[in-house]
Amino acid sequence: MAATLTAGAPARPRKLLASRRTRVGILYALPVVVYLLVLFVYPIFSTLFLSLRNADGSLTLHWYADALTGVNLSVLITTLRISAETALLSLVFGFLLANAISRLKPLLAGLAMLVVVVPHFVSALVRTYGWIIMLGDKGLVNESIPGGPYQLLYNELGVVIGTTSMMLPYTVLLLYGVMRGVDRRLLAAASSMGAGRVTIFRRIYLPLVAPGLASAGLLSFILSLGYYITPALMGGPNQTMIATLINQQVTKENQWNGAAAQGVILLVLTLAGLLLVKAVTSLGASRKKRSAT
Amino acid sequence: MMELRKTLTGRIALTAVATIILLFLALPIVVILVTSFSNNAFAAFPPEAWTLNWYKALFADGSKWPAALSLSALVAALSTVFSLIIGVTAATALTRSELPLRSAVFALVLGPLLIPQIVTALGLFLLFEPAAMLGSPIAIALGHTVLAAPIAVLILIATLRGIDERLEDAAASMGAGRLTIARKITFPLAAPGMIAAAIFSFITSFDEFYIAQFLSSVDTVTLPVRVYNSLTFEIDPSVTAVSALLTAFAILALGLVALVRWIGSGRQQSLLSVENTVGVANPGGDAV
Repeated sequence: MAATLTAGAPARPRKLLASRRTRVGILYALPVVVYLLVLFVYPIFSTLFLSLRNADGSLTLHWYADALTGVNLSVLITTLRISAETALLSLVFGFLLANAISRLKPLLAGLAMLVVVVPHFVSALVRTYGWIIMLGDKGLVNESIPGGPYQLLYNELGVVIGTTSMMLPYTVLLLYGVMRGVDRRLLAAASSMGAGRVTIFRRIYLPLVAPGLASAGLLSFILSLGYYITPALMGGPNQTMIATLINQQVTKENQWNGAAAQGVILLVLTLAGLLLVKAVTSLGASRKKRSAT
Repeated sequence: MMELRKTLTGRIALTAVATIILLFLALPIVVILVTSFSNNAFAAFPPEAWTLNWYKALFADGSKWPAALSLSALVAALSTVFSLIIGVTAATALTRSELPLRSAVFALVLGPLLIPQIVTALGLFLLFEPAAMLGSPIAIALGHTVLAAPIAVLILIATLRGIDERLEDAAASMGAGRLTIARKITFPLAAPGMIAAAIFSFITSFDEFYIAQFLSSVDTVTLPVRVYNSLTFEIDPSVTAVSALLTAFAILALGLVALVRWIGSGRQQSLLSVENTVGVANPGGDAV
């Protein structure tokens, strides 16, 4: 073995090095791969199997039929509705804020981004509690709006206010990145050719940021789907979301199969959303390339 | 003139809207911090009188907060250790080696960050419940590592990519062995990233709710689950003090990460400037 190595052509040591680097790579990748296969992939597959089985172990689609009828169906519809409302609002607010920040001078922009990023790292429970205090009958908001008190908590309005503030940092960060990536020379070029501000916005700027808007909206929609801290604390019985239902079925009713079926439905919706994000992002990449040429 | 006035009004309107949205993000946190010192912990804002009672109540006899805090701290510490081991090895494999199925491994790492945490939590519940491990700090820490390790991997990949490989090449050209390079060049330069990864793993686990909720037992609950239960089932004003402490902790941790990053960038700069003054060959040519 040693003899063949030393007798090898000059290309040989390089190949040996490559295989060493491969061996090192496999060895070092083992911990994360094994860990996630055992504690992430396997549990998700066991959820899938559980959702397809009766108590006696025979195959069934009963749990899916159950998850898509009656109260369970209305919870699913509520989840989709609240997620859509949240995504739309965080997209609008995110667009306005990211656009304003992208026009600021570096120092001010940095400070504004700090106000966006810091809340993101403060526990969602704490921020939700802050909203509950703020939106209560004698809270800051009701005290400063005349004609109240208005019912701002334990209804869909409260939930959507709360979840939007949780998703907003994601959309702002994403859109800020997209807006910074817009080539300002394109806008200047359009202006030099006599295009008005509205035309520039509609024909140049919007098409360039549109894929970013779509993926930011989809992302906040996906993240809202599996969320329940804020809806559970700020909503009423009509704002129960699918994640709350999964939790109740497991912890209160010991109904694992039903919970598993709902988990799989949530997973499928999320994966579909992620595929859409991927399609939209690659569309954006090709559009950007085209406008630059 | 008209045009100028139009731009000015537009700019003022835009700034006003942006300020309102920033307040929308920041106010809940400010309100929590202020309320934790308020005599009336439920409604009135701004407070009529100030008190430290809610903080005192946290550590009073029979308070359930210290137990939850120490469980969360233990779980987060364990999860940080697991995440760092996984993070350092995985990031090395993904940046400094030739790894077959590289993109598949990377997709696996991103998985827990993309799919709903409640689904991961349900799966982990199905794994640990039959093993009678509910309420075990080890089980919760193992569960939290599923979320914390991917974040550590991403931070460490960025760190290792950010290290100028010319420094490693330069050391090798001067006859340093692989271990010496790792110990004297790569590790000191990667240390700030490792500290950042550790802090983010700790926060991720310390703040995590869904997995902890499923893997807790009746008498062992982590701090976030305690806070949630307190907000749902009972009225305990000291939850404002807990929330304020959690906020302070998060801000402190972020400040620490920023500080460590800043020190780290200075360290690489000084090494690079030494390299440039000594005039070591610069194969990339980008710094010249």
